[in-house]
Amino acid sequence: MRVLRTVVQLVFLGGVIALMIRGLTGATPNTCETYCPFGGMAAIFPLAKYKMYTCRLTELNVSLMVSLVVLTIATKKSFCSWVCPLGTVLEWLHRAGRKIFGRSFHLPTTADRWLMNLRYVVLAAALGLTWTIWGGDLGFRAYDPFYILFTWGGHGTAAFSVYLAIVLIGAALFVPFFWCRYLCPLGATMDPLSRYGGLRIRRNAGVCTDCGACDEICPHRIPVSQVAEVTARNCTNCLECVVECPEKGALELSCYGK
Amino acid sequence: MKKVIIIPIAIAILTVVAFATVNTYRVPTLDFPFLTGEDRPETVAAVEYVVEGLKCRGTSMGFARMIAQTPGVVGVTTYARTHSAIVEYDPALTDPDVIREAFMAPVERDGQMYQFFRSLSQRELD
Ligand code: SF4
Ligand code: SF4
Repeated sequence: MRVLRTVVQLVFLGGVIALMIRGLTGATPNTCETYCPFGGMAAIFPLAKYKMYTCRLTELNVSLMVSLVVLTIATKKSFCSWVCPLGTVLEWLHRAGRKIFGRSFHLPTTADRWLMNLRYVVLAAALGLTWTIWGGDLGFRAYDPFYILFTWGGHGTAAFSVYLAIVLIGAALFVPFFWCRYLCPLGATMDPLSRYGGLRIRRNAGVCTDCGACDEICPHRIPVSQVAEVTARNCTNCLECVVECPEKGALELSCYGK
Repeated sequence: MKKVIIIPIAIAILTVVAFATVNTYRVPTLDFPFLTGEDRPETVAAVEYVVEGLKCRGTSMGFARMIAQTPGVVGVTTYARTHSAIVEYDPALTDPDVIREAFMAPVERDGQMYQFFRSLSQRELD
């Protein structure tokens, strides 16, 4: 399971690194932005109002956004743990952090709950500013660690962008998926759909021994051992809980209840 | 746990579908008519260029500025994804080679000469 997921992650991470190198050497005008589904969100307003795209957005961003919506309805936020190259980097940093410090650090539950809503503020700000003050320009790229990292501080980033990206990405060494959990606007977009995602983890209470290993390993702090089915919007179907569970058959993937 | 295979299969199919559908709905990055209404000539021809340097709305505006002063140019529509521009023109006043020279002309900025656009191909449309 883990091998399969790592292979898929490497395909997408390899693709975006190859694209970055080609961009830096002038072999292509495209950047990771060309293939970012969040661009599809940013394109909605100019498309509806002016029947034109804005900045560097194209049909590809819109198509990938539609695909992401379908993927999330079918498989929850599997995009985050199977596809997103930044998610892959943050996952590796999280693992490295666990190795270095012997544990993950978590914010207090109340602060964590509140901060998780920051993603919606970032989403509203990113879209609102793009459509108003930034005049259609994708100004969010100066703050977006995905863009800053995979364009190596490319067009539209500022001097502070690199430091910001280092902080936001580096935070994953301590707090698992810091960026994804508290700030990522694309993750926020998927949240409402993810709750109803068809492919989800199901716990077989008859086999489960309540050891809590799944709760401990889940990077998104989902109390897997306390639910019959994981419907939490944050679940990315990374399947780490299934891999870690010592009781065969206690955790399984179910597809629309089957 | 055979169901896990659903995830990579869904990802693969949806990625292919996304790339396969982009050509079914082409929306421009910039659609700029220079001549409209009565000013628009009766006979209009069109040429499509693939242009190095044409990659967004900003560069599309720059492209439009480069050809705006060319007599006979009626309008321009650009597409960032394909780095292409369709230019409408009055065939009695200009032709695709003159328009190409206009957008490929070097521009002076701060005492330096820059060439922002380079035509990679051109094709006259019916
Ligand atoms: S519940 Fe399991 S599959 Fe979902 S995010 Fe947590 S560890 Fe991953
Ligand atoms: S790891 Fe498995 S056995 Fe342990 S609590 Fe979770 S589901 Fe139950």
